[in-house]
Parts: sequence; structure tokens; C-alpha cells
Amino acid sequence: MASLVRLSSLYARGVKPLFLNRCLLARPLVASGSNNKESPALLLSRIHVSPNFYAVSKSASQHWRNERALTVVLFSLFPAAFICPGPVVNYSLSAVIALHSYWGLENIITDYVHGSATFKMAKAAILALSATTFAGLCYFNYSDVGICKAVAMLWSI
Amino acid sequence: RGSTATVKEKMALLIRQVGRQCLRTKVFPVLCTRHIAPMGTTAREEMQKFWNKNNQLSRPLSPHLTIYKWSLPMAMSICHRGAGVVMTTGVSLFALSALFVPGDFASHVELIKSLSLPPQLIFCTKFAICVPLTYHMWNGLRHLVWDAGQGLKMPQVHWSCYFVLFMAVCAAFGMASA
Repeated sequence: MASLVRLSSLYARGVKPLFLNRCLLARPLVASGSNNKESPALLLSRIHVSPNFYAVSKSASQHWRNERALTVVLFSLFPAAFICPGPVVNYSLSAVIALHSYWGLENIITDYVHGSATFKMAKAAILALSATTFAGLCYFNYSDVGICKAVAMLWSI
Repeated sequence: RGSTATVKEKMALLIRQVGRQCLRTKVFPVLCTRHIAPMGTTAREEMQKFWNKNNQLSRPLSPHLTIYKWSLPMAMSICHRGAGVVMTTGVSLFALSALFVPGDFASHVELIKSLSLPPQLIFCTKFAICVPLTYHMWNGLRHLVWDAGQGLKMPQVHWSCYFVLFMAVCAAFGMASA
């Protein structure tokens, strides 16, 4: 409760390292600091809003949004590959597929890999794999027939 | 009943007024406060703590996949992930072979053509390649619909399962016969 934190700030509750240095542990509502101008009623109404509301970075929710946006782009690339195959679609497909699969693999290892050391190793491994995949696809587009033509050739078998 | 209600009401009013009083006062300037740290752990940190504690105590994992009854939406969800992994593996192998295997793509296609495989086998292979793609695409569409907040009621979830399966098979069949 904000009221309790205000009271406790009077008593300087918190971690006390050497001498008089103090770290005041505060609920996010108070720690955000910018809300001193608001009326108490408005503040009280937001006490139980999750800390994410005051999070320093909105990176997690933005990442979620970017994942969905990329999926929509990928959906539109498939008909584009049929309608106007060419280098633009080839390179776009390479980039979008590589990124979409990288983010998908990242979600998988976040779900199933525990422990900080193995997690970091797994993240590094899939980053290397995805980067190599993107490089290989770009190389294929540049020096060989390209993705759209390759699918057409494969389907003619 | 009347008296206890008013006592509760009085307590609630008192707490609210005390709260308001405290918020109205300025924060007492705490001497030598260097930092104000917002409390709260991230979900990731809490999961790490859970796993560290349980691994340290060498606790066995309780049965989960082996005991719960499988449902169609559950199976389709893991198949969505599985299809993604399969396709990622395929694309990565393709990209790695483009980088490291000698010979251009046309020569490899010629090699396969020279094997004179029966057309039924070719059709089945094309179908098998298309199924993860079409399944992942149609189920991905269903995920986007859920992300938009629609189709989350259980009957809708169930019929959309069948819809996705039907559309995936039809699309794969159509692509394989092209």
C-alpha cells in the first residue's frame, strides 16, 4: 500500500549497508516517482496495477507485438512469391523466415531449458544457427537461382 | 447484523482516510537515501528460483504428460510447435547445404530427376513437405485470431481445430498436385 510505504519512508526502512547509505525498497507505484502531482484518489486507484505498468522497459510486450507483425508480413509474402517472384521477394522471404524461426526457437528454449548456464549456451547456439541460415539463404539468392525459382524447379520433378 | 455492518463500514472509512492523509503529506526527506529500488522479481527470475531450489533438493519431477488426458487443442498446440521445428530444421539444412555442398541447385534437381522415381512417391513426398507448412500456416492464423481476442470460447476452439486440420490437409493436397 502506498500509505504504508510513505510511513515506512519516515522510518527509513530498507537495506542498510555500511554507514548511512540506504536503499529504500519501494513499491513500483512510489518508485516511479512521477506521480506526486496526481490526486490521492487517482493514486489509490492504481495501487494494485501490476508493476509492468511502471516497468522501465516495455520490451517484452513490444517483442510480442513485433512477433505478430512479422507473422502477418510472412502471410503476405507467400502470395507475393506466386504473383511476382524475384529478388525482392527472395530476400524478403529469407529475412522474414530466418527471423520468424529464430524467435520461435527462442520461445522454445525459454520454455524448456532451465538453468542459467545451459540457457545462455542454447541461446547462443540458436543465434549462430539462425544467422548461418540467413547467410546461406542470402548466398543462395545471390549466387544460385533464388528461393522462388528453386521451389518452381523442385515442383517440376 | 446491522451493528457488524456499520463497524466494518467504519473500519473501511478509517483505513481509507488514513491512506488519504498519508498520501497528502510530502515524503519525509530521508537522509542519505541513495537509491529507490522498485521491488518485484521478473517472471524469469521467479522461475529460475523455482528450478534452482528444486534441483538443489534433487526432487523428482511429478508426472505430467504421461498422466493427463490428451485433448485435441493440446495436441494441435504441440504439433504447431513441432511443425515449426521441422520446417526450421529443413530450411537450415537447405541453407547449410547451399553454403557447403558443392554443385548448384539445378544439378541436384537433375540428379533427382535421373532417379526416375514413381510419381506416387513423388506426390507423397511433396504432400509430406507441404503438410507441416500448411498446418503451421492455418494454425498460425488461428493463433492470430486468438491474439485479437476472438474465438476463445471452448466450442469455438474445438470447431476451429477441425477447421484448421481440414484446411491444412486440403491445401497440402492442392499444393502437392500442382
